[in-house]
Amino acid sequence: MEILLKGRPIVPGEARGLALVSSKPLSFLGGVDAKTGVIIERGHDLYGVGVKDKILCFPHGRGSTVGSYVLYALAKNGVAPRAIVNSLADPVVVVGAVIANIPMVDYIDISMIKTGDLIEVDGGKGLVRICRK
Amino acid sequence: MYLTKDEERIYDGEYGWAKQVSIRILVKLGDLYGADRLIPIESAHISGVAYRTIGDASIEFLKELANSNAKAAVRATTNPSSIDTMNQLFSCLPRNVIEKQREIINLYETMGIEITLTCTPYYIRRPAFGSHLSWAESSAVIYANSLLNAWTNREGGPSALASALVGKTPNYGLHKPENRRASVLVKVEAPLKSEADYGVLGIYLGEVLGNRIPVISGLRRRDEMCLKQLGAAMATSGMASMFYLDENYVGERSFEEEISVDDKSLKASYERLSSTIEKPDLVLIGCPHSSPEELKIIARYLEGKRVRDDVKLWVCASKYVRRNADEYVRVIETSGGHVICDTCAVVTWLRELGVETLVSNSAKTVHYAPLLSKVGASLSSLEECVKIACGK
Repeated sequence: MEILLKGRPIVPGEARGLALVSSKPLSFLGGVDAKTGVIIERGHDLYGVGVKDKILCFPHGRGSTVGSYVLYALAKNGVAPRAIVNSLADPVVVVGAVIANIPMVDYIDISMIKTGDLIEVDGGKGLVRICRK
Repeated sequence: MYLTKDEERIYDGEYGWAKQVSIRILVKLGDLYGADRLIPIESAHISGVAYRTIGDASIEFLKELANSNAKAAVRATTNPSSIDTMNQLFSCLPRNVIEKQREIINLYETMGIEITLTCTPYYIRRPAFGSHLSWAESSAVIYANSLLNAWTNREGGPSALASALVGKTPNYGLHKPENRRASVLVKVEAPLKSEADYGVLGIYLGEVLGNRIPVISGLRRRDEMCLKQLGAAMATSGMASMFYLDENYVGERSFEEEISVDDKSLKASYERLSSTIEKPDLVLIGCPHSSPEELKIIARYLEGKRVRDDVKLWVCASKYVRRNADEYVRVIETSGGHVICDTCAVVTWLRELGVETLVSNSAKTVHYAPLLSKVGASLSSLEECVKIACGK
């Protein structure tokens, strides 16, 4: 079974990987360890989980605008997500995805996606394809 | 979004990576918020300087920019750092932390950005009336829009830096006259006395207004110190970027809501900000950084008094203001106080500096210090602060 979700293109680029889905907004500054890519915000539903090579799906970012630089550092350190899927993009994550060159799409109903789903993202067309067996 | 030929060349990388990634940031944000084009700015003010706040992650990006010859295209200033390197108080911080802070400052300097290290760049140079800016630092944004009639959105560190390097900002939000109309009328009935009371009003308004612009009537004091505290607090508790004083508002007076503020409305905000701290470790004045006029007022209160040995009194200001207020600085320091530059209580390591409790006349500091540094904090007027520092 395949589900195709159409959203808004934010940062172009294609990626394929396993979805990591959170229902909670994410603050990259103080919320994600830039060296390891592990989510370190206490009480977050992805606490302790690594974002490396995942298709990271969450509603939107929050917190300090410096969070954009954390996304850049994740990419530099080789622990960034392969793509970002948001319900509604916010400036912190958008700027982070632009400078880190991480494909990004928003306007997606992320409740359709489950952690572990195999996902394909086309950031230039704004498409998210869920490939389930 | 429309780009000129020259902007397109920047976008395609003809002027190097630093400008390219910068304009990409601006265009993306512009697309997100419906901007039609980029407009020139008079200045940029960049946050994301304090090592305490930005940590190691941002250094990578700043290095990459500096290495690819990034240079500011317009006048750009920087927000406070985590350390006053001229003051012995900070020499107890770990060497590697001091080094990292220096590295960050050097990177900005390499990019041609002025190392002002203050949240009040408007005391160094006042933006022209009606000019467009790209300023981060929420207290400076609301000050510029409301008291200087200089137009800026509430930028973040990265977007203000991108604007500094390109010299432009996307034309949306508060850069457009139609978005600068007030939609709420606030009638202040509570008798506000000190600047600290104005901070309490600001905290309350920030929470109820969201990002709506108010016209505020009924304020008895309109001196700059009170209005600065009001704005800084509004931007602390909410997304406020602008307010009008009643007599200055010439726009259409059709308000979607009228809010009356009496003592009762402010009570909850006040109680949250004022705990009983009789002998604080630190009395903090100068958030946002002090003006020359404020240094004068503080010096007047301190004249002939002596700060108690078991309390530190910090008066924060920019180096520029300090340099131009010698006479007041002398009075403050003779009485045992410290005029601190380049940093403040919100962005330094309070606990490492031996502070577990503080009293301040700034609602912004009293709001943030417990959250960021896990210290006890209480709000008192400037006059009270001096009394607490010197013993009654």
